[in-house]
Amino acid sequence: MLIAHLDADCFYVSAERVRDSFLLGKPVGVLGNQGACVIAKSYEMKAKGVGTGEPIWEAVKKCPDGLFIKRDFRWYEVLSREMLTLVREESPFVEYYSIDEFFLSVNARDPQKFAEAIRDRILKRVGVPVTIGVARTKTLAKLVSDLAKPFGALALLGADAERTLLESRPVSDVTGIAKRSAAKLALYGIKTCWDFAQAPAPLVRRILTVVGERLCYELRGEKTIPIQTTRPPHKIVSRGGSIGQPSADPAVQWAWAVRNLERLIETLDFHGLMVGKLTLILEYKDGTTRSDAVTFEAPTIRYDFLLEGTQTLWQRLLISGLLYRMHFLASELQYPGARQLSLFDPPPRKDRRIIDLMHDVNAHHGRFALRSAVTLHLPEIYADDAHSYDICDVQGKTCF
Amino acid sequence: MDGIALSYADVPLELIKEFDLSRLIYERGGEKELRFFRQTKHAMLPIRHDGQVEIVSWGCRTKKLPNTGYTWLKTLEAGEWVNAEEVTILATAGIRNGIWFPIRSGIRGLLAEVDGDRAVYMLVEPATYYFKIMTRSDRMPVLIGERI
Repeated sequence: MLIAHLDADCFYVSAERVRDSFLLGKPVGVLGNQGACVIAKSYEMKAKGVGTGEPIWEAVKKCPDGLFIKRDFRWYEVLSREMLTLVREESPFVEYYSIDEFFLSVNARDPQKFAEAIRDRILKRVGVPVTIGVARTKTLAKLVSDLAKPFGALALLGADAERTLLESRPVSDVTGIAKRSAAKLALYGIKTCWDFAQAPAPLVRRILTVVGERLCYELRGEKTIPIQTTRPPHKIVSRGGSIGQPSADPAVQWAWAVRNLERLIETLDFHGLMVGKLTLILEYKDGTTRSDAVTFEAPTIRYDFLLEGTQTLWQRLLISGLLYRMHFLASELQYPGARQLSLFDPPPRKDRRIIDLMHDVNAHHGRFALRSAVTLHLPEIYADDAHSYDICDVQGKTCF
Repeated sequence: MDGIALSYADVPLELIKEFDLSRLIYERGGEKELRFFRQTKHAMLPIRHDGQVEIVSWGCRTKKLPNTGYTWLKTLEAGEWVNAEEVTILATAGIRNGIWFPIRSGIRGLLAEVDGDRAVYMLVEPATYYFKIMTRSDRMPVLIGERI
């Protein structure tokens, strides 16, 4: 069985073009949550030197005619799910890897035609251009789709073709090998994907653990990373990110903390998870990063316990200064199903009905219609409905 | 807002000739468009009025009407305008502080007329948090059917 990797071409931009043909052929940049950075750009804007993550004020210098658009993750999810539905019609094993990337099994006699057919059907039915790479493993397929972009379809089969590809690509092109890992490998003379594939597995394991070793086998054409048709259980759930304009106002900072905590609890609740350990990371504009964690006596999803934990962390971590990012990490998770109670498990909440009522109200009147009063310090954030739906709210993806 | 762009194809040729609009032609992504800026000697805007496309002075050049090219939405809602009617300012993109952004259905405008002098005013409102960060502007145009 072969594996295909489907990757939408500059997906957010393509999605905007689906509903606004005026944007076709023009340099377009989609802006992130706060409107300050380019999170996706068209090939026309990329050609002007604009990179992903670039501040808008830098991007506009390079591309003065560029059109900048506010992101709309609800719309992007609609198109993503349409693509997913179509792909599932073509393959029995599909992994929803990210909002714009899927892996699927290929059993077709002619994998090249199979890839071309899916690519063309998606363009016709959804309107989004995609690229599809087919190879023996997931890791190879991703390299192939990178090679074939944009709007490509390529089944790369045979030892010679694989070798040519691997020799031409730096090892850092492999998903899962970041710059730091690549630097470690370089110390052993491993610079290209081919070098990596040929390296002794025990050596790779020593340098990059078993995770790297798996990638090494994948490049050799041996499947070690399966297609995941359902999302594996979370090990960590996180929420947070930029708080927009950096702020030194304690009320605003705390409001962001509670907002992020509420988003975290909402996600945990959605998945039926309980938290054993809560970590908070605060990043200040001057480069200072502070983090700490609290461990609960028993895994919990109770708002009052998690808020108390957050208050404890807040007192330990907060310093005066311009705060600009924060992250909550929930770990040591307990999964849904039968739970072993501890001696110290708190009694069930008496206000569960109130919590359920809050969910009902928010389901009818908007996601954050009822929320903590301290978040009233962020009126502009809650006034804009687009802030209530983020990329991490798109459920079911196996990657972030 | 400092200016707007409108696809060349959306403007009738006779208007392009009558108002010598060919000097406003630019190209973006291989497609011709007309760009109308506020800070020009004879600022104009394309509008749809009574089902027709018209080119009208952007703000008043005489002193019969306010000189500004903008008016707050709240002034319209408060009934402060007389002899004025709401029109659609035709635009496929807008620019503020150097940042271009697409516009899907146009901008709300106000066409005022006194003693034969006609001028169009762009309706504006306080900028949303997003628009403020994106353009560093405290006010934003009142777009039709969308909000940035």
